[in-house]
Amino acid sequence: MEELVNSWTQSYNQEVACYAKPDVVTEDQMFSEVYHTLIHSPAMEALLDLEHTYALAIVKLQSEREADMKHLESRQQAEMEDAIAKVGTIYTDQQVNQLAQKHYDNTQLIESKWASELSNLQETQKRQYKNHVMKLHEAHINPGNGVQSYVQRVRAMSTSAVSTERDQIWQPIKMEESFTIHLGAQKKTTHNLRLLCAEVLDLCRNIPNIIGGVAVPQPQRLQTAMSLYSNNLCGLILLVDNKLNSYTGLKKEFAKLCQQSTEFHFPDLEKQFQAIEENIIAGNEWRQNKIEEPDQVSIKSGGSNSSGEKDDKLNRLIAGDFYITRHSNLSEVHLVFHLVVDDSLRDNNVNSRHPVILGIRNILKACVRYDVFTVTIPLLLVHEMSEEMTIQWCMKRAELVLKCTKGFMMELSTWGGHQSRNIQFMLPKGLSDNMFLQISAMMPTIFRVSNAIVVKSS
Amino acid sequence: MLGSGELGVTTFFSSSIPNDKCGANGLPLTPNSIKVLGQFQQLITLRHPNLCRYVDMIKCKHERVIVVFEHHRKNLAQLEPHVKTDSKLLQVFADVLGGLFYLHGEGLVHSYLGPSTILLTEEGVCKLTHHGVYAMTGCGAHVTFPVGQVKYSAPEIFCKLPGCESRNGSKVDTWSLGITMLEASLGITLWASLSVKQIIQRILSFLTIDVPVIDLIIRDHKCPEKLEKMSSSLQHLITRCLNVNPKQRPTAEELLEEACLQPYRKVHEIRGLNGCCMFSTGLRCQNLELSDFSQVEDEELEPLRELDIDQVYYLWQLAGGDIIRTLDNAGKIKSRPPITNLYSFVCDDGESFGAERDSSVLFDDHILVLSLDQLKQRLSNLDETAYYPLLEEENDESNGVGGNGSSNIELNETATLPLVIKEKDIEYQFHRILLYKRLLDGYPYKRAQIWKEARVDIPPLVRPMVWAALLEIEGDVYGRYIAIDKDSPTPTDRQIEVDIPRCHQYDDLLSSPMGHHKLKRVLKAWVMSHPELVYWQGLDSLAAPFLKLNFNQEALAFACLDAFIPKYLNMFFLKDNSLVIQEYLAVFRNLIAFHDPALSNHLEEIGFIPDLYAIPWFLTMFAHVFPLQKIFHLWDTMLLGNSSLPLCIGVAILHQLRDTLLSFGFNECILLFSDMPEIDIEKCVQDSIRIFCSTPRSATFRQYAKQSKSETSNKPWTSYYSTDPNTIKSALDSEPIPLEELKANRCSRISAADLIELGELAGPVGTKSPTKKTKNSRPKILIIDIRSPEEYQRGTVPGSVNIPHTTSFSVEGTLNPTPQVNTLNAHRLQVKVIIGSQGNTSLNFGNKLVALGYSKVCVLHRGIEALRPTGLLVVPPIEAHT
Repeated sequence: MEELVNSWTQSYNQEVACYAKPDVVTEDQMFSEVYHTLIHSPAMEALLDLEHTYALAIVKLQSEREADMKHLESRQQAEMEDAIAKVGTIYTDQQVNQLAQKHYDNTQLIESKWASELSNLQETQKRQYKNHVMKLHEAHINPGNGVQSYVQRVRAMSTSAVSTERDQIWQPIKMEESFTIHLGAQKKTTHNLRLLCAEVLDLCRNIPNIIGGVAVPQPQRLQTAMSLYSNNLCGLILLVDNKLNSYTGLKKEFAKLCQQSTEFHFPDLEKQFQAIEENIIAGNEWRQNKIEEPDQVSIKSGGSNSSGEKDDKLNRLIAGDFYITRHSNLSEVHLVFHLVVDDSLRDNNVNSRHPVILGIRNILKACVRYDVFTVTIPLLLVHEMSEEMTIQWCMKRAELVLKCTKGFMMELSTWGGHQSRNIQFMLPKGLSDNMFLQISAMMPTIFRVSNAIVVKSS
Repeated sequence: MLGSGELGVTTFFSSSIPNDKCGANGLPLTPNSIKVLGQFQQLITLRHPNLCRYVDMIKCKHERVIVVFEHHRKNLAQLEPHVKTDSKLLQVFADVLGGLFYLHGEGLVHSYLGPSTILLTEEGVCKLTHHGVYAMTGCGAHVTFPVGQVKYSAPEIFCKLPGCESRNGSKVDTWSLGITMLEASLGITLWASLSVKQIIQRILSFLTIDVPVIDLIIRDHKCPEKLEKMSSSLQHLITRCLNVNPKQRPTAEELLEEACLQPYRKVHEIRGLNGCCMFSTGLRCQNLELSDFSQVEDEELEPLRELDIDQVYYLWQLAGGDIIRTLDNAGKIKSRPPITNLYSFVCDDGESFGAERDSSVLFDDHILVLSLDQLKQRLSNLDETAYYPLLEEENDESNGVGGNGSSNIELNETATLPLVIKEKDIEYQFHRILLYKRLLDGYPYKRAQIWKEARVDIPPLVRPMVWAALLEIEGDVYGRYIAIDKDSPTPTDRQIEVDIPRCHQYDDLLSSPMGHHKLKRVLKAWVMSHPELVYWQGLDSLAAPFLKLNFNQEALAFACLDAFIPKYLNMFFLKDNSLVIQEYLAVFRNLIAFHDPALSNHLEEIGFIPDLYAIPWFLTMFAHVFPLQKIFHLWDTMLLGNSSLPLCIGVAILHQLRDTLLSFGFNECILLFSDMPEIDIEKCVQDSIRIFCSTPRSATFRQYAKQSKSETSNKPWTSYYSTDPNTIKSALDSEPIPLEELKANRCSRISAADLIELGELAGPVGTKSPTKKTKNSRPKILIIDIRSPEEYQRGTVPGSVNIPHTTSFSVEGTLNPTPQVNTLNAHRLQVKVIIGSQGNTSLNFGNKLVALGYSKVCVLHRGIEALRPTGLLVVPPIEAHT
């Protein structure tokens, strides 16, 4: 009886608008709305310039940090070399050890000093930025109070950034090719495919764009900023290992790119990871229950594990899992799908049932659900060239991923994705030109490339 | 009729199905929004004076659906206290019960009844709204929200868990009506201060307390004095409604029998209103009431009110109405930017975690009214007479688009524009749909005129009925369909079961479970009613366009399919259909050579013969290779032509891909047609008409085609092409040709009768073109007599040229230049009729001409001998030799 009443009450309160609690607009929601309006208004330019100025400040601080660290390192190295040379004569082993310990402590100290400085600066920037955005918005909705003046004030803060460096203009990707394809037996949908050979993080990296001695934001930034809160997002698949951190390799590189300027809209990467970890634990619990479900008895025994062991188990990732991070400060992407891979991908016999392939399917599904219309897939399921990647290996892998993607794209329509999409296939940098041509020649054999309209003179 | 109603919209989300579940057939589950869309369709057919009509449902992305229906702004909750007299309330009671009785009779339960869903029209009639929510959501199974209003829900609803499989019985509506009427007659808001939980507890408590519910509620609100003021009949009715035991609670029908309601009951003719009365067996004018316009004469009458609500909605869309934008502007479909509420972790098996719930997905029953201002403004410059087009205006041979008034010239101009433009032109569509509605009301007597109008175009709104008219469907289609056993298992069930989930599934309606169910029934009905024929794969595609058009009228879909197949695909569905198909393809092959010898030569050379690609084209009349929208436009024209037109459509498709095909080898050609490339269908239609009009009709003679009925129907069969080529009347007509012979030759044949008519050998014949566009649509001919000069001199067809077959060809196989050959070369575009003696000489000659790239070559069937009995042969004039 009580259960009936409660479940009906819950059902009404949670599903029907007139019985539900009124929606509270959070600060973040408000900020996102305000930002979205501003970025589509004349104040856009001022806003982007401001972001750019802030980014330059971070870059400056980071280069200072690097210089400082380098200086410290060389000093310590000199001291150490000196000490080692004199071991046994002036210094004892113990003293050398102490020196090493001191150096280590010093490094830690200086590093944390810089880290706190950086985070302080980012916090300040974040606060100031939000403040400016809100004020700009006020000026925007009450034009009487002088929009122009405030826009100009904001702009004045940013034009001071004059760089002494030479002109650096963003270099286009060397090898790329685009295809327009049709899918479907009777009713056809049109999609765009792009094959490109580049470093995967190039899509994230903001390259200093200096024209006439003045640092100017990249044109891609504008596009990315304008579509941030829209229903047309860009995503990137980044292949990662099964640990949720950013200590090694590409993950470290990526984290560094996220740090190159302040993230004004979403939590830091670290904080996002913390939130994700909770969900991973929830996911693993669900996964365990699913395995144990047919065998009800074993639930009890599973509970007796020591808590430490359990925690360890619960934040474990397996191939095919993916987690999503959100970014507003990367060059061409809003979302990064971190797809977990393992060493089995090196094998030549990966088939369409491989968990990573299914992971790509789930990612495409997420793209439909969240209006991600551009997504970049690493075509060979690796980011860097390695020894075992022979020509045959590459061709086989490319064919597999292309065919599977085609199948998934056909499925998209049953998930409700009738619109046209852009899918980019990324090939690792360092691939031979010949190989690129071979793979690009494979595209029309797998996809139906739309015929160019031939205009005849007759 | 729209009357005082307006168009209202409401929107909700259907629940998303769990990750990666598969159906019993191994295919992915259908999204719930599509299921809802399928279940919604039957609601469109509901017609009752006490129910608001459902008009349309639109499926948007992310499982959102939008419902469009008739709406009235005032509801029972807003009824002013001073008009709440006993008689008014009893009238409401009777009206609502009338609506519920009809609804329950259709097997539906309202389940959402309450004062806000009982609307009042300007005339004071009650109309129920939201009565389809429970049905369209699969009794609440396809949505996350509970369908019902807490306060008005019957206690038995809360006795099972929400989302539980068992369905509400129709008695829940009686309870809801009781509470609604109690609230209305007491003039208070019940349980205003109680929370949802308390209300549910209170309703459930009624089950345990053995006191009449009405007394308990009065006690709750401490208003016995109000109860005393209530009339005894109302009290009696409400008490009967509020019986906690659903078994003892009366049905709507039983309540309608109450003596106190008798003065308020209206007798409605319910049946026969269901959308289409074109094919009913009853007397259509039985309940005809001519409106008395004498009283409204001086009033400013809104002409729009006289239109049907689906016409108004159709025109509203053409006037720039956009439901999604309207809802967006009203803030009704605002949802959070996707980046702010995405999930953050997804397991390898696709289960997701960490998504935030967006409050905009909650159910909101608020109704948004669509503004008709824009539509009214667009139609404001139309004369009122335009709403009532006159049909019986003879001497209107010249004006194509019927109708009258000054805008006629303009309309005729619009009629020549491309179809895509015409279908978007509101004024043009307005005139067309009104004209067609009137003509269809006069079917079958107006069939000739429908035929004539269909040659101009067919508006999408009336296409189902117009097609039925073109297919000459008459009589009791419903009775016939009902009589067919569609349920008993048959050996073909398995194949049908496999094919349906692969048939035009991009279309939401056809991919819904309801669509599958209906298509299966139509196919089974066809198989059952034709024991001599079998189910071939492709029949599903053939039935799909008809079902899509007549989704709510399976019987009509079936009748159309049943009439379509003998007309265009006679004997194609025989168990052994190889002869029929082989003949069809051979004729097709000859027709390609006839119109495009260069292409034909290329295809023959690489061995890319029609057998490799054209079987699915013809077996499904292109329904397998084109999307539904294109099929509609293609068939709009095809239905007007005879059984040879599809062959011409085939040639037109090849013609459109000509350059590609000419540059392709065998493998590329196979690949190209494995998945039909994009075809410009309007161009294809125009091309096929052109091809059709430049082909002698006997060139497409097929022995397996349906022999047309001897008596001519009352269609305006006045053109050269109106006679079916496949009719054998005299010795001069075509006769069956053995398949081997047909396949061995590449040039077509012409019958003697055809030659006489085309060459006007028997004197000029009056003729009219099948299309409006061309003046003279008969092909011009050049007759070539290939017999020896001696035979030629003895007697030949008037106007013929003598190119003797024995001496004309050089060793290399080219034609030796002679004056006669020059004449031939000068008439490249004309149809060349080769006349020889009997035997294969003329066919060989024809084949050689085709190989040389001469187009439009055909051979007189049976040669000169065929013409001898006619006495038409003459001695040719002696050519002047210099």
